[in-house]
Amino acid sequence: MSETRAVEAWTLEPLRRFVAEAGARLALLTTPSGQVIAQHGFTRAVDVMAAAALGSAIAASTAELCRMLKEPEFRSLNHQGVEHGVYLARCDTPRGPLLLLAVYDSDSSPGLVQLFFEELARALAASCPPKASEPKVLAEDFERELTASLNALFGR
Amino acid sequence: MGDEIAALSAEVARDPQSLAFLRLGEVLRAQGQLEAAARVVVGGLGHHPYLPDAHDLYARILVDQGEFERAEEEWGMVLAIDPRHAGAHKGLGFLAYKRGDLDAALDHLELALAADPTDQRVVNALRRVRKEFERLLQAQGSVAVPPAAPPSDLFAGLEGAGSGILLADAQGRVLAGAMRREDGIDVAEEVAAHLAGVSQEAARTAQLLDLGQWRFLLAEAEHQNLYLGEPVEDTLLLLARDRSVPAGRLAVVAQRAAVVATRWLEAQR
Amino acid sequence: MARLQGALDRITRVRGVRGAMLVGGDDGLVIAESLMAGVRGNAVAALSASLVKKLRRAAVAAGAGLPKFLHLQGERGTLLAVPAPHGIVVVVIADADVNVGLARLEMMRAAENLI
Repeated sequence: MSETRAVEAWTLEPLRRFVAEAGARLALLTTPSGQVIAQHGFTRAVDVMAAAALGSAIAASTAELCRMLKEPEFRSLNHQGVEHGVYLARCDTPRGPLLLLAVYDSDSSPGLVQLFFEELARALAASCPPKASEPKVLAEDFERELTASLNALFGR
Repeated sequence: MGDEIAALSAEVARDPQSLAFLRLGEVLRAQGQLEAAARVVVGGLGHHPYLPDAHDLYARILVDQGEFERAEEEWGMVLAIDPRHAGAHKGLGFLAYKRGDLDAALDHLELALAADPTDQRVVNALRRVRKEFERLLQAQGSVAVPPAAPPSDLFAGLEGAGSGILLADAQGRVLAGAMRREDGIDVAEEVAAHLAGVSQEAARTAQLLDLGQWRFLLAEAEHQNLYLGEPVEDTLLLLARDRSVPAGRLAVVAQRAAVVATRWLEAQR
Repeated sequence: MARLQGALDRITRVRGVRGAMLVGGDDGLVIAESLMAGVRGNAVAALSASLVKKLRRAAVAAGAGLPKFLHLQGERGTLLAVPAPHGIVVVVIADADVNVGLARLEMMRAAENLI
C-alpha cells in the first residue's frame, strides 16, 4: 500500500512531502520511545511495531555511545545496502524529539534523503501544535489508544 | 520448486498475515496450478485488501483462466491504490490490445514504460502495438489521422531528423520524431520514458538551487552530444547528434526544432 | 586532500562561479567543497548527483554512452557536472552568464587530478 497515514494529523503533509521528494519506499515517524506517529508504505501492523522498536533501540544505543564519547547527542545514522538503504535520524519539535526511519532504494540516495529530512524537520517544527498539558495515562486507556492508533495507521 | 511451495505454504499457514502468499501464488501460477494460486491470493487479499501487488497477481491468474473482465476489474483496483503501478498498466495494455483497442493499449503501455523504463518486454510490446496502430491509420486514410499521430516527417529538413530528434510529453510518452541507436534500433519509447525522470529532476534542481526556471540540459556523452529542452510546458524535446557536432551547433538545431514542435503542438490544441 | 582543494579553488577563480565541489556520485554526499557564502553544499551535492544518475540512464538508453559533461542552464544560474573516476562527480554552481567553456576546462583538469 503506497499511502501515508498518521496518528497525529499535523505530521501527515510534512511526511508525505518527504516521501515524495526523497523517494523513500518506507518511512516511519516515532517518538524516541518507539510510539508510532505516522507511517508510509508498511502493510502490516506487526512490521510497523517491529521497525519502531528497532529504530528506537538503535537511536538509544547510539545516543549512549555518543554520551560515552562525550560527543553531541544522536542526530542521524545511514546504512547503505546493495539494493536498499536505511536512514535513521532525530529532529526536535515543540512537542519533543521525533525519530524518522526511512528505507530508500537506488532511485534515491543518502544525500537526497538527508537533504529532505532537513526540510521535514523544519516542516514538523513549523506545523507542530503547542504542547498540551499531559493527561494522566490510565491502564484501561492504553489499549484503546493503541487500537485507535493502529486503525489510523492502517485505515481500518 | 516443490520444497519452496511446501516452505511457503507452511509459512502462510503459520502466519496468515505473512506476505509469503505473494511468492506462493507466483510459484503456483508458474507451475500452472491456477486454482490453487487463486485460492492462495484470495486468502491473502482477505488480510491485505489494499496491497496492489496482490491484486496484480490475482489479475494475472484471472487472465490465465480466461476471465478477462474480472482481470480488468482487479487491475482497475490496483490503479485506484497506486496509479503508477507498472504491472497494472502492462496488464490493461495487454487486454486493450487483445480486444483491438490499440489506442488504449498504447496509453497503458506508455504509462507502464514511464513507471519502469527498464522493462524490455514493454518496450517490445509498444513497438509492436505502435506499428499496428500506424498501419491501421494508414489503412483508414489521412483524413482519419487523429492529432495523436504526428506526421513522421515533423522535423524533416533538420539535422538528425528521422533518428535523433524526439518530442515527448512530461509523462514520458512519445509525441513525435524518432530516436535510433547507431545500429538502427528504435529506442524512442525507452528514451522518452527516461526523459520524464530527467526533466523532473532538472526542474527540481533548478528550483531548489535557486537557478530559476530551467531552460535546457546539455550533455556530452561518450558517443553523442545530447540536448534536452522544454519547448512548451510539459513537453520535452531531445536532440542527439554524434560528437562531431559541437554543443553550440546542437543548441542552434534544437532552437529550430523547438519552433517546429511548438507550431505543431499549437496546431493540435 | 590539499591537491583536491587546490583544484576546486582553481575552478572557483573562473568569474561567475559560486562554488565547486567533489560529490559522491552514488550517495550524493559532499567530499570536498569550495563555496561562496549562501550556497547550500548538501543540496547541490544531492541534487546534482541524482540528476547525473538519471541522465546517465537516459544517455545509455539512447546509445549515447556515459555522460562526460553536463550543463543545466537556468534563468538565474547554471549547474555543471563532470563525472570523474572512482564514482566522484565534479560539480560547479555558477551565475547564468558564466563562461561555461572555461569552467568546463578547469573541471576536466580537476577530474584528471583524481586519477
